[in-house]
Amino acid sequence: MTRPIPWPRRYSAWSLLRARRAGPGYWRPLWTGRTLRKAYDVVVVGAGGHGLATAFHLARDHDVGRIAVLERQRVGYGNVGRNTTIVRSNYLLPENHYFYEDSLRRWECLSRDLNYNVMYSPRGVVDLALSEDSLPALARRGNAMRLAGIDAELLDQDALARFVPGLEPRRPRRFPLVGALLQRRGGTVRHDAVAWGYARAASALGVDIIENCAVTGVRESGRAATGVETTRGFVQAGRVVFATAGHTGLIGRMLGVALPIETHLLQAMVSEPIKPLVHSVVVYVSPGHGETYICQSDRGGLVMGGHLDGFPSYTREGQWHRLEDVVQGAVELFPQIGGVKILRQWAGTNDMTMDGSPIIDRLRYDNVFVNAGWCYGGFKAIPASGAACAQLVATGTAPDLIRAYRLSRFATGHTLDEPGQGPFPVRL
Amino acid sequence: MKPPPPRQGCRLDAQPLQFSFDGRSYPGLAGDTAASALLANGVRLMGRSVKYRRRRGLLAAGPEEPNALFTVGARPDAIPNVSAPLLQLRDGLEFRSQNRWPTLGFDLASALQAGGGLFGAGFYYKTFIWPSWRWYETPIRHLAGLGEAPGRCDLPPPVLEHCSCDVVVAGAGAAGLAAALAAARAGAKVILCEREPACGGELEYEAALVGGVPARAWVRAALAELAALGARVLTHTTLVAESSGELLAHGEPGGLAGMNTLHYIRPRAFVIAMGAIECPIAFRDNDRPGVMLLNAAERYLARYGARCGQELVLFANNDRAYPAAQRLLAGGMRVRAIVDTRAADAAGAPAAALRDELRRAGVECLAAHAVLAAEGSTAVRGARVAPLADPAAARQIACDTILVSGGWAPALHAGLREGGSAEFQAGLGAFIASAQPAGRASAGAANGHLELAQVLRDGHEAGVRAARAAGAPGTPGAAPDGRGDGEPRLAPFARSPAPERWEKHQFIDLQNDVTVADLRTALAEGFLDIEHLKRYTTLGVGTEQGRTGGLLGAAILAELRSEALPGIGLSRTRPPYHPLTMRSIAGFRAGAAVKVARRTPLHEWHEAHGGVLDPMDLWLRPRYYRANGASASTAAVVEARQVRAHGGIADGSTLGKLEVAGPDAAAFLDYLYLNRASTIKPGRARYMVNLREDGCVLDDGLVLRLGAERFIATVSSSHGPHMLAHFEHYRATEFAGRRLTVTDVTEAWVAIVVAGPQSRAALERVLGAAWRDTLGTLGHMGFADGDCHGAGLRLLRASFSGELAFELHCRPASAVQLWQELCDAGLAPYGLDAVDILRVEKGYLVSSEINGETTPFDLGLDALAHAGNPCLGRELLDRPAFHEPQRPRLVGLRAADGRAAFLGGAQLTVPGELRRPCGYVTSSVYSPTLGEWLGLALVARSIDLEARLVARDPLRGGDVAVRVVPPVHFDPDGTRMKAQPASQGSATT
Amino acid sequence: MTRLQCPFCGPRELREFQFHKTLPTGPGGSAYERTYERVADAERSLEHWQHVGGCRAWLHVERNPSTGAVLAVVLLGGMRP
Repeated sequence: MTRPIPWPRRYSAWSLLRARRAGPGYWRPLWTGRTLRKAYDVVVVGAGGHGLATAFHLARDHDVGRIAVLERQRVGYGNVGRNTTIVRSNYLLPENHYFYEDSLRRWECLSRDLNYNVMYSPRGVVDLALSEDSLPALARRGNAMRLAGIDAELLDQDALARFVPGLEPRRPRRFPLVGALLQRRGGTVRHDAVAWGYARAASALGVDIIENCAVTGVRESGRAATGVETTRGFVQAGRVVFATAGHTGLIGRMLGVALPIETHLLQAMVSEPIKPLVHSVVVYVSPGHGETYICQSDRGGLVMGGHLDGFPSYTREGQWHRLEDVVQGAVELFPQIGGVKILRQWAGTNDMTMDGSPIIDRLRYDNVFVNAGWCYGGFKAIPASGAACAQLVATGTAPDLIRAYRLSRFATGHTLDEPGQGPFPVRL
Repeated sequence: MKPPPPRQGCRLDAQPLQFSFDGRSYPGLAGDTAASALLANGVRLMGRSVKYRRRRGLLAAGPEEPNALFTVGARPDAIPNVSAPLLQLRDGLEFRSQNRWPTLGFDLASALQAGGGLFGAGFYYKTFIWPSWRWYETPIRHLAGLGEAPGRCDLPPPVLEHCSCDVVVAGAGAAGLAAALAAARAGAKVILCEREPACGGELEYEAALVGGVPARAWVRAALAELAALGARVLTHTTLVAESSGELLAHGEPGGLAGMNTLHYIRPRAFVIAMGAIECPIAFRDNDRPGVMLLNAAERYLARYGARCGQELVLFANNDRAYPAAQRLLAGGMRVRAIVDTRAADAAGAPAAALRDELRRAGVECLAAHAVLAAEGSTAVRGARVAPLADPAAARQIACDTILVSGGWAPALHAGLREGGSAEFQAGLGAFIASAQPAGRASAGAANGHLELAQVLRDGHEAGVRAARAAGAPGTPGAAPDGRGDGEPRLAPFARSPAPERWEKHQFIDLQNDVTVADLRTALAEGFLDIEHLKRYTTLGVGTEQGRTGGLLGAAILAELRSEALPGIGLSRTRPPYHPLTMRSIAGFRAGAAVKVARRTPLHEWHEAHGGVLDPMDLWLRPRYYRANGASASTAAVVEARQVRAHGGIADGSTLGKLEVAGPDAAAFLDYLYLNRASTIKPGRARYMVNLREDGCVLDDGLVLRLGAERFIATVSSSHGPHMLAHFEHYRATEFAGRRLTVTDVTEAWVAIVVAGPQSRAALERVLGAAWRDTLGTLGHMGFADGDCHGAGLRLLRASFSGELAFELHCRPASAVQLWQELCDAGLAPYGLDAVDILRVEKGYLVSSEINGETTPFDLGLDALAHAGNPCLGRELLDRPAFHEPQRPRLVGLRAADGRAAFLGGAQLTVPGELRRPCGYVTSSVYSPTLGEWLGLALVARSIDLEARLVARDPLRGGDVAVRVVPPVHFDPDGTRMKAQPASQGSATT
Repeated sequence: MTRLQCPFCGPRELREFQFHKTLPTGPGGSAYERTYERVADAERSLEHWQHVGGCRAWLHVERNPSTGAVLAVVLLGGMRP
């Protein structure tokens, strides 16, 4: 039931040659349809990765009529453009690993589907083990993945030394690197390309992408919502999907629903560009709540991140001491980068749920949906989230893949708590 | 090759030195930077751009330099991406250019330039899809990147300094010095930071008068006065970040490899006087070696006596070009022409007068003209100049250097933090940081002032306000007055006219090869917004973070979109305000100090006696002792066997201990634990379980009742800090105002586990006659307090091994002696791995089972749950999910064949459904007691005892058939641990 | 420049403190509401923090999460500094 996409300007190496002759005017805007109409069949709130992917799948895979994506700032301004680009499906719980694996399989062919190079690079995600005691927990996760048909390997020190050259696991450290859980098919994807690629495809399929249009309220009639109030007037909508990462708690408040969400700040940073040194994604979670994950972008900068800053914030300005923690971890792994300079630090706002897993469900009304609560792992979920959420919105029934992400799970006790941390995004 | 021109009247120490660039030796002078020395030696080619590998020379004299980045030192500890104007020379320094192969002069990858319009912005999004991105990624990654990846880092870590003061002034130019003086005179304690080695900023070459004296003399006097007033002046020190009330500044007085200091400064007020950066102008081939910023050329001449070239053409949109030309002429260079984009009458009177003088000196002064292109394919050979009214009427002026001044962009970064915003100033054609929070202000050029008198006044006023905000009492007098180059009267001019085919050679961001053509492509693709533009074209993502290309790009975007610049805005600047090495950021928390290490008082004993210590959380604990075996597994088996056969001692000090006291202590513990503490009799201990707020088991431990109002709660070693905060939280909320105290006494007591059949006898020998009766009568889970060797001692009878066992809680001072005496009494030490073997044999729980996902029902603690205690977590424990048939249950496992090994982390399935796990192995050990592998597991409740399951471990082995057994594998009735001495008969609990 | 004013220790940098959770605005509520629901207010967030790097006091902090400004700090637990 997937429609072929009528590209205004199909991309290829040939198109580059033609543009060279014709000049920059040869290209077409990635998304058009910037006039806001009075009524839509589906309004998606938020032009981030999840919102755009949902709109794309609604347009391509389901017959839902007119679709709009309303964005209060610009396409891709939120977390989709701020993350550390890591994709993987190395989750413990079956409700999670099947979902993220579906996403990973979509990443593998997304560039072809979107006719936009999102640069999926399966360079391997390495979860380091810092003590013999931590190996059973890592093995439990890896074995669960393997039983589900997802690739996972347990590396000992020698195998780790071979897979991550420059790491030198045998060198004495405060916390020894005894091994790692490796997912080879995990890696990185160019984040901006994802937002732009989905926006372009959705737009080619007739979706209106309206920037600078903030949703300020929902109008209701009985048990259903009739549309959304925006800074550009009222827009009638048959169905509404909120995909507003970093603001979902406020959306809940707007609808009079207290959600199990606390919005926290997460930083990332990048170093100046150097020649290739880190060829995979290395994840280092040390005791005492320190955490560093590090990879190297194709332009050469070392991209790093770590724990949440640790308090609710919409400022997108990180605390320096958290940056220090992340860099300390990076230098602990690769001391040779001591002389490489950090260029830039930035941050995003993350909707942390009380079990660390997302919420894709109806919200208060039968025709209002929320696709949120992605904590700090939303980027990798974008393709699967878009497809599954679109199915929920189009058919009214959640596909099996996301049935566990219902909002009622907190009340019934069916929480999906991967780290076993309980209802506190910030551990005491 | 012409010999380089001699140095001009420089103020530098004349001490000569030698350095090497790209393998060739050059002379320099002490005080030179790599940039000044290379310039003085006539070296023009210093680098290659990232994408097209175009030849590049020096553009600037500060951190805004985009081209001249060097790798310093020899492999493997070479330091990459060091900016030439910031690299202080010392004798023998070696450095080389980057990102070129085989040589800087002949780089094979420069063939990419032949691709022309193919590799414009965003081209990689449109192709490289078939067959997969990985094919293209590896070569692209090798072409990308600037400096080499280092192999080792020998740089010293920084010294940390924490200090506080009243006012911090960042930047010691005219405004900064004025601000610092005003604040210091008002009585404030001032710290003045300056990135450069010397203070004064642009005053050093403006030939200005400040307070009637030459600027340099004024700077010296100001510094002397600041010193007399007690102000601290930190040169070589850059402001790096601001975070929640602290300013972070990094000082590198010793240069790159020398001593460096991280200053954490807590000021009451903060003045940002970091100046403005000169803007380039885009014209065709404005990236050629020989195109420089005008003030950079002035700085190299004034400070280092280095001439940037011989035949100069100046290209400017403001009055500064004229006094600058005069100074450059005086420096011995020949100024061929000044190309002024403004109309003839736009210049101010002083500039116009200078212009006439310059004309008489042979300088061609053109008005309403522009440089359309730099001529020359490898370096500037001339400038193509034309009137703006008629670009076709172009002619060439021969030159070897084009000096550009397109206005100034105030340094915004520090001012944008915590609510600051960028506000457009029409007169400046640029943005300043406004809406500053209380206590922070910009001053001088950073605040949009360019004329010296205004700069001084603005700096002075900012200093006055800062001192007042900091509560300083005094009056600082009047601002110094100044006379410099005068008001620049600039008319915004971002790029020279060009036909569209030239636009791919009009460079905006030099490092990343972003051109006007790229902006057009971005616009055509719908990227109208400045942030989108930045991400799409990579404008401003390089090492200088848009210092030279940011405002220029915004201005050109405005032009291409036919919109006003204020509406375009700038892309957001972010910390660090200046790139900082990772070793400087990491500070002293590197290597062994990256996290604090917690040690027990017996640590040295363990190390001295062959204990193999492993980190467990932040603790270091002995896993096993080398005397017992070559590896952990063999030694643990020997130690465990020894404990059951005879006895042993283990260091249990890492266990957390919280003393809870007061009339409400019992009620408090009843609230925090699933089972009751209030019914424990004094002198007795009870196994207790904490629930988390959501009903899952948080921790387990013993609670000892010392008296009616005094308890000690033990918490697991890995949960120590968490449980303390948890207790303290509820003491401050649910039990606010109640009479109770919570004290962490973990480190006040060393806990020595004494276990095994001979434990009681050994304790009798060590503790002496005074304890004989107690040892004889102490029942399981009882404890007694007393003395030994003159210090307090608590003897608890409890067992984690299933053997007759005691815990000796003694003061740290007596620990080693008691431990050694117990060893001498025949009890050998055993480590964590042996503890694990013993406890798995008995089905006891550790964090592998209490992993934050399990309820008390899952763990077989139903009896405790049914004690009926209303406690934290009780209500949510009743949620339906916790009582479903697929909910896990704690069981034991044994291999079906009585021999095979299986490991913790193996998944368990029913034989017919190998892909759907019904549980997993939480812990497994080889048991010497039973002679086979034993495990504990959590499996679905619906699985019965004696069921056959498959332990699947594709990661480490294969499948093993196992059978489900009760979790207590050994001595299920607990007779061994409850044993009383023969004369007592059987024990009671 | 945001600091937290600890009632015992005075104004200290944020990194000395540890955030725990945001609170419902009013008292009462079921265990589910108290444990799982959080109030999202862009201008005024009521929170529990602990001064772990200092006196270990528990604090009720009112902050503006959109600007980072600290509006009020009150000692929890009924003690007086």
